[in-house]
Amino acid sequence: MSSDTQGAVGQSVLRREDEYLLRGQGRFVDDLPTPLNTLHLAFVLSPYAHARISEIDASEALALDGVVDVLTGADLAAMVKPIAAQIELPGYSFNTRDVLAADEVRFAGEAVAVVVAESQYLAEDGAELVQVDYEPLPVVTDIAEATDPAAPQVNPTVPGNVYFEGRFATEGVAAGFEAAAHVIAEDFNSNRVTAVPIEPRGCLAVPEQPANLVFYSSTQIHHLLRTALAEFLDVAESTLRVVVPDVGGGFGIKAALYPEEFVCAALALRLRRPVKWIQDRYGALLTDVHARDNHYRVEAAIDDDGIVLALRAEIRTNGGAYSALPFGCTLETTGGARMIVGPYRITEYEYTATAVATHTAPVLAYRGVAQPVCFMAIEGIMDRIARRLGLDPAEVRLRNMVPTAELPWTNIVGVRYDTGSFVESLELAMEMAGYDEFRASQAQGRLVDGKYRGIGICSFTEVSGTGAPGWRARGLTRLPGFDSGTVKVEPTGKVTAFVSHAHSGQGHFTTFAQVVADALGAQLEDVTVVEGDTAAGPYGTNTFASRSAVTGGGALIRASEKARLKLARIAAFMLESTPEDIVVSDGRMHVAGVPSRALSFQEVAETAYAMNTSDLPEGESFGVEETDFYDPPLVTMANATHIAQVAVDAADGTVDIEGYVVVHDCGRVINPMIVDGQVMGGVAQGIGEALMEEFVYDPDGGVRTATLMDYLLPSSVDVPNYQIAHIESPSIDTVGGFKGVGEGGLIGAVAALVNAVADALSDLGVNVNTKPLRPALLSRLIREAGG
Amino acid sequence: MNDEVRVTVTVNGRRREARVEPRRLLVDFLRHDLGLTGTHIGCEQGVCGACTVLLDGRTARSCLHFAVAVDGSDIRTVEDLASLDELHPIQEMFHRKHALQCGFCTPGFLLTTVELLERTAEPDEGAIREALMNNVCRCTGYANIVDAVAEAAVELRRRKPA
Amino acid sequence: MKPAPFSFVAPESLDEVVQALAEHGDDAQILAGGQSLVPLMNLRLARPEVVVSINRCHELDYIRLVDDRLVVGALVRQIDAETSPLVQAECPLLAKALPHVGLPATRNRGTVCGSLAHCDPLAELPAVALALDAELVLTSAAGERRVPADDFFLTEMTTCIEPGEVVAAVALARQDPSERSALHEVSNGGHAFPVGGVALRWATVDGVCTMARIAAFGVGSVAQRLGDAEKALVGSDLGPEAIAAAVAAARAEVNPTGDIHADADYRRHLVGVLLERGLLEGEAP
Ligand code: FES
Ligand code: FES
Repeated sequence: MSSDTQGAVGQSVLRREDEYLLRGQGRFVDDLPTPLNTLHLAFVLSPYAHARISEIDASEALALDGVVDVLTGADLAAMVKPIAAQIELPGYSFNTRDVLAADEVRFAGEAVAVVVAESQYLAEDGAELVQVDYEPLPVVTDIAEATDPAAPQVNPTVPGNVYFEGRFATEGVAAGFEAAAHVIAEDFNSNRVTAVPIEPRGCLAVPEQPANLVFYSSTQIHHLLRTALAEFLDVAESTLRVVVPDVGGGFGIKAALYPEEFVCAALALRLRRPVKWIQDRYGALLTDVHARDNHYRVEAAIDDDGIVLALRAEIRTNGGAYSALPFGCTLETTGGARMIVGPYRITEYEYTATAVATHTAPVLAYRGVAQPVCFMAIEGIMDRIARRLGLDPAEVRLRNMVPTAELPWTNIVGVRYDTGSFVESLELAMEMAGYDEFRASQAQGRLVDGKYRGIGICSFTEVSGTGAPGWRARGLTRLPGFDSGTVKVEPTGKVTAFVSHAHSGQGHFTTFAQVVADALGAQLEDVTVVEGDTAAGPYGTNTFASRSAVTGGGALIRASEKARLKLARIAAFMLESTPEDIVVSDGRMHVAGVPSRALSFQEVAETAYAMNTSDLPEGESFGVEETDFYDPPLVTMANATHIAQVAVDAADGTVDIEGYVVVHDCGRVINPMIVDGQVMGGVAQGIGEALMEEFVYDPDGGVRTATLMDYLLPSSVDVPNYQIAHIESPSIDTVGGFKGVGEGGLIGAVAALVNAVADALSDLGVNVNTKPLRPALLSRLIREAGG
Repeated sequence: MNDEVRVTVTVNGRRREARVEPRRLLVDFLRHDLGLTGTHIGCEQGVCGACTVLLDGRTARSCLHFAVAVDGSDIRTVEDLASLDELHPIQEMFHRKHALQCGFCTPGFLLTTVELLERTAEPDEGAIREALMNNVCRCTGYANIVDAVAEAAVELRRRKPA
Repeated sequence: MKPAPFSFVAPESLDEVVQALAEHGDDAQILAGGQSLVPLMNLRLARPEVVVSINRCHELDYIRLVDDRLVVGALVRQIDAETSPLVQAECPLLAKALPHVGLPATRNRGTVCGSLAHCDPLAELPAVALALDAELVLTSAAGERRVPADDFFLTEMTTCIEPGEVVAAVALARQDPSERSALHEVSNGGHAFPVGGVALRWATVDGVCTMARIAAFGVGSVAQRLGDAEKALVGSDLGPEAIAAAVAAARAEVNPTGDIHADADYRRHLVGVLLERGLLEGEAP
């Protein structure tokens, strides 16, 4: 038996989700019809980063017509257990968070009370009237100051403000440094950023039979959310149903579990009324998880040819005030430490990786996680090696890269690169960017017509599709790795595919249908994808960390294959043939070599559902509904090279991006159009991170970027046209050969842009080792260098 | 002070009347009083443009207007662009060019494009990018939106009776 | 982020507007385009008791020449000023400045006078008003007074508008057709407010600069006329030395502050860069 349908995967199939979204018929959580008796929530947020709550007086708020209740930390403590990320790493300081701060607030924006009212306007009126007496306490926000013995203690169970310190070293590191002809060392600083999906977070909890509660949420992780609600609210998981409607972008920040969700669910259960909470942008900026507040100190021991003999990294990440669920505050810490070696043959490596606590918003996942920073560091080191030795930066990379012929390769921290194209993607990107010509033009000097021109490379590996072993290696033992798929051929022969993912714009309804159509042998238009509902389809780990193609695709392929086998058995019985001789294609099945002896899916399905007079083969069960699970290997490694060309205005320090090339290898491509879309969107976010975005706290922990007028996002005039090419090195370790692609755009853009700017200014001898690279900073560097 | 006042507006060609508090934002009026949830809220700070509608033919932030203050106006929202059978050419090009991912920002971009192409039949790339500054998209990286607008301009010119 | 409650009136004449203001005094707030006010109300950073909308005062929606001035009424939307042939002919500096103001959708609704009354230190139009020797026409129940722009803008978000007064119009100097003008600014990104900018206009007779008006924005607590830089130009040939002198004077006379978007030194430096850029742009045919 075989499937002949080989059309759908690999095609730029236009998206099914577009039409209703374009018509304004998207159903985002705030668009869902709400029962008339729905209650609305507004949270009272602390303006202080660190303070004792001495008293909360809600009497004025309660007196307001339409305010139903005001609850504080003590009230919620009776309804929701303190929430905590479970991380099993030696030396990790376990810590918990009350869903509403009861005694002490630990970052500006932490909620201290919640107002329940008949409308959102009234809830906000009430929130304004809640009087909170705060006793301000000393604050630490800075990563370096956090571990100063004099620094205030952020969390009682995190001694010295160190959540975690991880160490790793191979035996020959010291020898490598001794043998080195040169040591290249640099400090890299990264700005704190946050994802800012245009749809803020929100949820709607509706008590409903037969489940006790239907919980609509803009989450990326509906199964994990349901488990957590059950656990921390102490209700039976089976009585909860979590549904994810359309989600307006997530980028990782909606893969966190937030206090508001627990509060909303708890209140709906207790008040026996629907309860809705829609976040506003102010709250989003203050309370969504943040990212990238990292410091890297990197030292590379190199020989005279620029080959890295040994690498040392000292990584400090700011985890914020609490270790957020479900990944915890060590996500960036362990991530950067494990990923920094990238596509390079690093054989001696040592790291210290520390997560510190500060009075700032919790830090968790944002597209790329640690990688934008660790590649800014290692790719910055590659450029510095080149400058030190007078080599071309591309040449230094090529000398250090693991060549394709040596794949599979297991890197120094044990991650296997099964297939890839590190060298080829760099070479192709150089060709597309006109790299050699650009370098030749620089020979006359980088300053032309008042602009310094530079080119920057980022060649990197991209972690995707992490399996359970991959999470365990990072202490996340309670995070599964598998996802699930159920493929159901309906009595009419149409196909419904359930998958344990939840989309936030990735086009799952289209791409998963492509995967199922091919694996099952169905017609693409006959396959409908259902996801984002814990009541539809089995459990899974859900949608973050560039997982869905790998884990969902793999699970659906397996389930489709089982369904196809079943169809083939039934068809063989009906056609008096053997299952091995049945060819499945385009929703039909025929006996190999005899196309006229054929049945449609519908004819076979009618037999399976006993809707005709044919019998099922002996021992065959009714229906065609097959489920399977797929846990990918440790991690699935994609790779890419980005090359950016920039012009830095000598007078005002502004940066123009004059060219941008991406060569991406995510294994077997399901839908090139959608892959390109992921890449371009990621690059734009990388441009934001490299050049303009920064979340800023005052030294006293107050928030300086509480609006989108102060937290800047790239607009249509800030991004270039992108040139994108693909190399396909199908994974040999994953079912389907897919690798993830969700994050590479952002990862590569940051280092490519930082390196391009550094290259542009390199004649001036200035050091570019921080971001964002705003005009004021670049202009200062230029002026100080006398440029 | 919370006394409700009467608002009468024309929305997508239909006269609509309601009593609302003076402080009711136009965007909430459209979404929650009229059920036109295609107009979205991304910031209520006037930056993102997810709430963009056409107010008397021009793009406006519906989060920066009170419903009472636009009494008597003509308002067009994303729901008015397509017919039952067919997408508007601008919507069609957004589809073909993959100019939307999550689709949350998209209604705003569509109305910005309607205005642009009414003002300028043949915008160049620079003019398109300038016009699209009206809106923020966090998913697409803009390039496909720019393409879609350029293609829509061609299509609209083609359809226009000479 | 929903505004606090308020009551709302929308008078249909300027007389009724000033009556409403007289009645409600400090509690009242004028609503024109609302593009600066409503974000603050949504954040509850502004919470007027009474909102007096002038959007029905069609008498305030005019652009006309009165003697040597171009007068722009309080209800003129920025987009209408930008595309007005009269503005383009008489005050090209204003026409050049407007595309930099806000975003297309906010220019569709925001008014020229509203931006002046709001007095945001980062806004372009107060600097344009300074460079165009504007007079603000302030009307109250007591009558009308005209205030030169130099006296109107006091400091961040603060003008000399008294309770009971409304900006009924702004009267701008008509630019001589031989004049040149420019506006340059730098921001940290497409949507961002500028971190500094310069608006300028100047005239030459036989290669000698006879008049210069320069105003900076984004580099202090309020838009600022750069008188010393102007002096360095008037009487000069606008050659490299004169420009360098003006740039130095401009940098010396601004008093910028640093914030999260740019430090003070950069802003001081930038004023000179943008002034030079403007003057050189004007040289091009
Ligand atoms: S919601 Fe109106 S501009 Fe963002
Ligand atoms: S498509 Fe998601 S914000 Fe634009």
